[in-house]
Amino acid sequence: MLKYFLNRLVWMVPLLVGISLVSFLIMHLAPGDITSTEASFNPKTSEESRQKLRELYNLDKPVIVQYGLWLKRMSTLDFGHSFASHQSPVFWQETDKEGNVNKGMIQEALPITLLINVLSLGLIIAIALPLGVISALTQNKLPDRSITIFVFIGFAIPSFWLALMLMYWTGVSHNWLPISGLHSLGAEKLSSFAQLLDTLKHLTLPILISGLTGLAGISLFVRNGMLDVLHQDYITTARAKGLPENTVVYKHALRNALLPLITIFGLSIPGLIGGSVIAESIFAIPGMGKLFYDAVLMRDFPVIMGILTIGSALTLIGNLLADLAYAWADPRVRRGVAQ
Amino acid sequence: MNAILKNPLALAGLIIIGIISIMAIFAPWIAQFDPDAINVKNILLSPSATHLMGTDGLGRDVYSRMLFGARISLLVGIVAVGIATIIGIVLGAVAGFYRGWLDTVIMRLVDVMLSIPTFFLILAVIAFLTPSIWNIMIVIGLTSWMGVTRLVRAEFLSLRNREFVLASQTLGAKDGRLIFKQLLPNSLTPIIVSSVLGIASAVLVESGLSFLGLGVQAPQASWGNILTDGKEYIEFAWWLSMFPGLAILITVMGYNLLGEGLRDALDPRTSNNK
Repeated sequence: MLKYFLNRLVWMVPLLVGISLVSFLIMHLAPGDITSTEASFNPKTSEESRQKLRELYNLDKPVIVQYGLWLKRMSTLDFGHSFASHQSPVFWQETDKEGNVNKGMIQEALPITLLINVLSLGLIIAIALPLGVISALTQNKLPDRSITIFVFIGFAIPSFWLALMLMYWTGVSHNWLPISGLHSLGAEKLSSFAQLLDTLKHLTLPILISGLTGLAGISLFVRNGMLDVLHQDYITTARAKGLPENTVVYKHALRNALLPLITIFGLSIPGLIGGSVIAESIFAIPGMGKLFYDAVLMRDFPVIMGILTIGSALTLIGNLLADLAYAWADPRVRRGVAQ
Repeated sequence: MNAILKNPLALAGLIIIGIISIMAIFAPWIAQFDPDAINVKNILLSPSATHLMGTDGLGRDVYSRMLFGARISLLVGIVAVGIATIIGIVLGAVAGFYRGWLDTVIMRLVDVMLSIPTFFLILAVIAFLTPSIWNIMIVIGLTSWMGVTRLVRAEFLSLRNREFVLASQTLGAKDGRLIFKQLLPNSLTPIIVSSVLGIASAVLVESGLSFLGLGVQAPQASWGNILTDGKEYIEFAWWLSMFPGLAILITVMGYNLLGEGLRDALDPRTSNNK
């Protein structure tokens, strides 16, 4: 197991270098260089801040040196300071000369996005799993057909539209749920339990949105996985030796059908992180997605580059965890029999 | 073709996409109003016989804007997927045919691209360029070729040593002939299926970008930005946010149905065990 883990860890290094190269290339996409006025949404960009950009990315040095310096800064997780937001550090907190602590922007936004995504993953599992199993067990009958229609709608529904509709229905016309931000006005005066409840209420809609849009894929996946497994010889054997149908389905089939799901969750991380842009900007949740969206609008390059890199690193870590979980659950993988 | 028409999913998808494409192509003749004509006397009219989908906050006819928006959605979807498919075929063919270090480099590049959250990547590129319909198409295309590459490579790897390919090679066929006459035609089915499904997700991405104000720019109409306008009036003009959302939903569903139907109809493996 340890060897497998180290092996996977070493694999991440070339990927990280590749990510740094891609993000470096993106930075050089802009016509002229990123400090030129036409590349700026914000006409008020001062000569001073342009000079800062040049220094930050060493734009006066040869390209290869620029990349080397960028790689070096990335490896120390130094993404500089935001241009738009009072010079806040992009990634992690810093203490200035007077001893004041300046919180990092990603440091503050990341836990919120992670919380939303973990909770919506929970929601997805809680709903998609039974749907997929029911669908597989009633293949081509009415429940399966209805679930399939639901899956097709789920694949096609634009998350921002669903968000708007839910926001209007639950927030505006019924006033059930708060539709914006993370806390109610004056929430800091409440007890800590009431504060937690208040935050959860604010998070309900964003979690529903990212959960509902991710549901379709997972339930389809569970259905097809179950169908595959149910046609295997060992299921026929289990039935032939007279095991009750429930034991066959839930103990023999489901367990094996769920294994690949671990990988699917790993693979869905970039989609979830990227998808947070839409939900968070609609509901004004101060997470990674909103931070990124605002940075794009303001052309706050250090923040854009920081989030792009951290988001990719998170994806790699997520994939690593998924691989480890898979190896833990399936001895064939860790002994190198399969794949 | 017969197989496609007999498959209910594919047929339903084909009909949906057909109708929407006809409406998009003939938009200038179907539309009763200029989609960009502002009319302050007709602000926020609810749907009626004259204005089938009502009017927006500037008095523009929503139905006409929806028709012209359909053009944008279909165009962006098809061009973006065209770009992605061409890149995917070239890289996948090179990797699968020549293998060796080229294969390693290309596949690692695929891994790298897949580990960057796609929507972040698209937004970052747009931040460094300017949002316009052409940039959107190129950016979506350049960030969605990884699936096709893997697919073409896998097909090529499995076909490369089959007898008909080896026979052709023994007869002196050059690499180009092997790739274009033998391997590629035999890998077309999965490529077509993944392209059709790719259009569906490109339509979703474009409308999402336009909704966020980073895609197609006003006054040019797109379903995404009609919805953004509608957001302001959601409390008293439901039609402004209802129709664009439904249009995106139906279009994306049409492509998904067509793609899944094609997969079933054209792939003997899945149609047998169903």
